[in-house]
Amino acid sequence: MMSIQGVAFVALMLFCIGFLGVVVRKNIFAVYLSIELMLNGVILLLVGLSRYHEGADGQVMALLMIAIAAAEAAVFLALIVTLVKQRNTLNSDKFTVLRPRGAK
Amino acid sequence: MELVFGVLSIIAIAGAVGVVFFRQPVYSGISFMVTIIALAGLFALLSASFLFMVQIILYAGAVITLILFVIMVLNVQNRQLPDERGQGKALVFGALCLVPVVALGMRGFESLGNEKLVILGEGFGGIHALGLALFKEWVLPFELISLLLLVALVGAVVLLKKESA
Repeated sequence: MMSIQGVAFVALMLFCIGFLGVVVRKNIFAVYLSIELMLNGVILLLVGLSRYHEGADGQVMALLMIAIAAAEAAVFLALIVTLVKQRNTLNSDKFTVLRPRGAK
Repeated sequence: MELVFGVLSIIAIAGAVGVVFFRQPVYSGISFMVTIIALAGLFALLSASFLFMVQIILYAGAVITLILFVIMVLNVQNRQLPDERGQGKALVFGALCLVPVVALGMRGFESLGNEKLVILGEGFGGIHALGLALFKEWVLPFELISLLLLVALVGAVVLLKKESA
């Protein structure tokens, strides 16, 4: 069970659940957390493959991805705060700031 | 070890399902924290001891705390949440659609064999091995990431400053 296939299964499940959340949910926080789930699935796969090949490169990549996730959190949360202050809702369908005027 | 791996995997996947299913963002955030801590345990089982610490300190300690803080500071009311009554059916249907994707992905990993991954000793995945790899072969990506973090910091400040001006 604890083989590279087991690790790959858990990583794939996390990625697919995150993908589902991004596509289906409307709550902007749920969408953001689902993106983080997808990132974490990939990180788990990198760590598992690093263990499988017994080299440190996969773990370094995972470390860099965690740093990217932190940067993403800062920008995404600032964006959410700005949008929620403007529109007073968490519904991602209402965030249409970039839509040209008059477009349907 | 098999048992620990199984239990941690189940906790991680259950937390992920909770993130997608809970209506309130605070519950989603706490459920995400469960997933992160279970994943940290999986990292430890895969002999990545440094990443285990990073995951707990940086992800569970910093990123999720930031998310929960923002959710609480925004003081989300029930009327601000989107109407998601039909979403349960959509989630179940989407999950059924993604079963073949997972099956196909697992086919891709069949060629890697089913060899058992025991915990390696002798400093594999420790801070020494990771630091050597990071500063020998991965210096350029490391520096670029530092630049990216700076840009993200400036971006966050600019985004929030415009609002108050």
